[in-house]
This record gives sequence, structure tokens and C-alpha cells, in this order.
Amino acid sequence: MSGDLVVQTHGLRKVYRDRGRKVVAVDDLALTVERGGVHGFLGPNGSGKTTTIKMLLGLVRPDSGSVVVLGQQFPAGIPTALAGVGALLERGSFAPDLSGRRNLELLARAASLPPSRVDEVLETVDLREIARRRYRGYSLGVRRRLGVAAALLKKPELVILDEPSNGLDPAGIRDMRDTIPRLSAEGVSVLLSSHILAEVQQVCSSVSIIGDGRLLAAGQVGELLGESTARTRVGVTEPDRATAVLLAAGYEVVREGPDLLVEGHEHPEEISRRLAEQGLYVHELSAIRPTLETFFLKLTGHRPARPEDPDQWAADQTAEHVVPTGLTDLTDLMPPTNGDPS
Amino acid sequence: MIRLIGVELARYTSRRVLLLLVVLTAVLAGLVAFQSAWETRPPSAAEIATARANADIEATRAGVEADIEQCIKDSPLGTEAGFAEQQCRDMFAPADTSYLPRNELDLSGTIQGNGTGVALLVVGLLMIAASIFAGSDWASSAIRNQLLFEPRRTRLWVAKASAVSLASGAVALVALGGFWLALYLVAADRGLPHGSAVVGDVGWHLLRAVVLAVGATAGAFALTMFFRNAVATLALLFTYSIGGEILVYLLPVDGIARWSLGNNVFGWLEQHFEYVDPTARCVLGSCGGAEHLNHLETGLYLLALLLVAVAASWAAFRRRDV
Repeated sequence: MSGDLVVQTHGLRKVYRDRGRKVVAVDDLALTVERGGVHGFLGPNGSGKTTTIKMLLGLVRPDSGSVVVLGQQFPAGIPTALAGVGALLERGSFAPDLSGRRNLELLARAASLPPSRVDEVLETVDLREIARRRYRGYSLGVRRRLGVAAALLKKPELVILDEPSNGLDPAGIRDMRDTIPRLSAEGVSVLLSSHILAEVQQVCSSVSIIGDGRLLAAGQVGELLGESTARTRVGVTEPDRATAVLLAAGYEVVREGPDLLVEGHEHPEEISRRLAEQGLYVHELSAIRPTLETFFLKLTGHRPARPEDPDQWAADQTAEHVVPTGLTDLTDLMPPTNGDPS
Repeated sequence: MIRLIGVELARYTSRRVLLLLVVLTAVLAGLVAFQSAWETRPPSAAEIATARANADIEATRAGVEADIEQCIKDSPLGTEAGFAEQQCRDMFAPADTSYLPRNELDLSGTIQGNGTGVALLVVGLLMIAASIFAGSDWASSAIRNQLLFEPRRTRLWVAKASAVSLASGAVALVALGGFWLALYLVAADRGLPHGSAVVGDVGWHLLRAVVLAVGATAGAFALTMFFRNAVATLALLFTYSIGGEILVYLLPVDGIARWSLGNNVFGWLEQHFEYVDPTARCVLGSCGGAEHLNHLETGLYLLALLLVAVAASWAAFRRRDV
């Protein structure tokens, strides 16, 4: 194993049983995360991200394959490895009838950490006052911040965050996205699981993309999720003539009502300039960032499967996967199927 | 490990619902002690006078005198000996105490009655507390965070089981110890037998009750860790308590009563427990009648059940995904 990898899996596979049916949550997954920086773990809901993370944390046993975290081979090395790993899991994972502070104090005592560490992490996430109240009464945003505090308790080398923005309001998302680069700047390696493409583009330096439990692509964010995949909506008074101009200039153009959708460019201002040269003036020029669905389509040639339960899908869209205005909304289309393989 | 047990004890004592159950246990034990003392309170002068009058009325009944005279005649000692007359009067003449409204406090007798009852009550409540303690970790997924901070699952399981057993043992000792101490003081105050023999019987019973509380709560904890759900454990225990014993007796097995959980629990708690086995067949017209279960037999039976639950729970917790 390369010495600068904090996570390395090989041939990782996990199969759940759901009402007698086998569901492959993770299949032959080779995931590598280099030390330092923020590594995105991107995939639609139900693609196997959470199951993979649980395997990295020793909570789920792989059916086959190997896991090495911080140089420790699992399962024998789980206790040693986890001493240097902090994690924010998608679900709360705290005792609801205890205060946030009490929850952290008990976790710190279990890991032989000094009590002062609790104050430090509560200060870091700005929860000193609220932490005296019972966890049961916390908002989702406060719960997430407490989760981050717990993840930082051990002064970890590696922090694993599973969908940290899920369900947060815009301010909470902004806080979370400010926190992640700060951790990285302090030398902590971060593995960020997300189904939100913009989140990964915004805070990650490298990324692994997973679909149907398999690794689809891995590399630098700029290379994999760069602007080349972008499209631009163009509003212009003479769309037919504008189409001809842009086609002649080598762009891909599709009519969408009165507007044009232009692909195959890196600099939208070039579109405006070329049209203006022909006396065509745009009244709208807006970038359409690729969704995970379109990106997934490019990688696999098919869209992620629609959920069997439309109500569940609708709930996912509204409750858990709200993306604030101005950020890219992703149409994650696979619901958590069963056995929690999401 | 000591540190981890301390953490789990702190977790146990931090939960308000568990503290409420503990307080309820102590309060109920106190109420039963009060009830036992009240129902055996010494008779008032009026009650004694009434009892004496009733005894005198009964003694004047013609049949009683005839029975006494017949008894004296039939006695091998004959009428010469006043000793025979006294014996016969004791046997047939009504005593004042027979007409008193209450029995006096009998510590040894209480073991079979309210002593065993209060022990079962305390053990039952502590089992509910143990189930809630384990079940809430699963319901809230807090067990995941705990495993991130102590990934050695066996250590975590043992620490939790030890904490719940220690806490339950301590609560049982305080609640049941308080119950018996109160009754001992009442007996001493009333000048009733409370010597070393009685104290020995009560002490052994108390010890067995505390051991049962420790084992039963460890079992309830183990079952809940296995099911990952307090409701499942409590439902199982509740269902067994109302229908399980009946089902056991319906099984086509001779002498099945020996293996009834209820019989073994009573056999463990009581000083001398006998049961009648309706499924035992009479061979050549000779039926055994009541069967005796001693503490070693019942203790081994209950220990075996506990070990099965613990082994299944521990193995499942070590291997299953969280």
C-alpha cells in the first residue's frame, strides 16, 4: 500500500438480504483516498456510499475484499485505525435524552480523552450554550454540528462525513461548507460523502464516483467534474439566426422553447461576443450546471433507476435533499432501497 | 475495562426514565413492607376482648365438651393424669388467638409470601430498566457512535452488561434490604422472633433475590442486545409470563414441570419449594405427589438459561452489522 493513502479498499463487496432477495449494495469497490485535502465520495442515493463508509468504520462487515484505513488492515486493525478517525454519520447516533455535552463527555471518557477536549470541540462548532440542553430538542442543524464536534473529539487524522448537508437550511449548509476546508487546512484528511455535485465541486480536491455499488470514476475534481460538462441557456430575439451563427462557430445548439441550450464550450462570454458580432444581442445568458443525473448518464450511458416508491422519492427531494437557491440541485434518483445500502 | 464500565454506569444513571424505574422499585418495596407490617399489627385491647369472648362462646358449645371427655377417655394415660386432660383441652378447646383478626408478623413465613412477591416485583422492574437501557442505544443509533469510540465490541458488550448488572444488583440490594430491615425492626419492636436463625433464613433469601436480580437483568440486557429492541424483549417476557407456562404444560413430556421457568424462579427464591406436576404419570398406582426443587437445581437451570442468552447475544453483537 502506498504510504500516503488514508483509505484503501480492494474488491470490497457487501450484499444485503431484503425479504429473501439479495441486494448488492457494494460490488468490487476499489476506493483510495490520499492523505490531505478533501476527497469527495459522490453518488446517487442508494449507490452504496453509506454502506461503504460503515465498512470503513468497522460497523459493517464486508462479504469480501480488503479495507485498510490509516495503514491498518481490517478487521484486526479496526481499534488502532479508529483511534485516528472521526466520523459524522448520516443519522444522529446520540442518546436523545441526554444533553449534547453529556453525550460528548461519555464518548470522550470511553476513549480516554481529557474532559477539556469536550469544551474545545463545542467551542469549535459554536455549541457551548446549546449543548446543555437535551439532544432530543435540537434542530437538525444543531444535531449536525454536534456530530461534527463528536467527529473532532479524537483530534483525528481522517474525518469521514456522510451527507453532512442533508436536511440543513442554507445557513447550515454554508457553515458546513466553511468547516470542511478549515479542517483540511489544519491537516486533517476529509472524506466527504455526498449526492450533491455542487458540494463536491465546491469543497473537494479529488473525487470518487460510485454508482450501483461500483466505482465509476476517480480523480481530480477539475478533471472529472470540470466546466466542460456545462451548458448555457441563451435568450436571444432571433433564435433561428442565432442557432445558425453558433452552429457555424462549432457549438452544439438545441432549441428549448424560445431559448437556446448551448453545449461544448468553456467560456460562456464567447457566445455573447459571437452573437453580438452578428448584431444579435442576448437578453439572457445563464449557466446550467450538470446534475448528477446527467453526469451519471455520461459515465454509464443510463440514468439512475427511479424509485419504486414515488412518495419516498418525493420525500427525499423535499426533506433531505433541498439545495439552496444559487447552488446546483441534483436530481438524485435512487432511493435508499433496503438494508440501508444508501 | 473499569473505565468503560464507569462510562456505562454513568449512561445508566443519566437516563431519567431509568431513574424513575429505580425510584419506583424502591417505593414499591417500601409500600409492601408497610403493608406487611400493617397487616400483622398487634391486636388492640378491644380485638383481644372480642377474640376471648368468641373463644369462650365456642368453648361452651356442647359438642366441644363431649369431644374433650371422649378424648380423655380414649387417652392411654386414663383419667388419672391431669396431663391427658390438658392435652385434650389444647386440642379441642378453642384458643383466643384463633379468633384474632390478624396473624402476627412471622419473618420466616414472609419469605414465602410478601418476601418472594416483592423480590419478583423488584426483579421485574429492573428487567424493564435493563431492556430500556440497551434498547435506547439501538433505537437512537447511539450504539454506532459508541462503537466509533470503543470499537472492541466484546469490551463494549461486557462493559454494558456489567454496568446494568451492577446497577441492578445495587438497587435490588437497597430495595430488598430496606424491605427486610424494616420488617426486622418491626419484629424486634413487637418482641417477635428475630433471632439468628430467622436472620439467617432472611439473609440467604435476600442474597438469592439479589443474585436473581443480577442474573435476570443481565438476561434481559442480553436479549435486548440480541433483538436490538426493548419492546421485543419485553413482549417476549410478557407473552411467556401469561401464556408460556400453560404452553409448557401442554408439551407431551413427562415431568415437564421441573423445567418450568416459574417453578425454578420460585424454587430459587423460596426456602423450601414443592410443586405438583400434573404431567407426571403414576406408575403402578404410585404417584410421587409433591416434588421438591432445591436451590442448586434451580440455580443451575437459571444459570444455563442465562448463559444461552448471553452467548447468543454476545455472538450476534460481535458479528452482525450495526
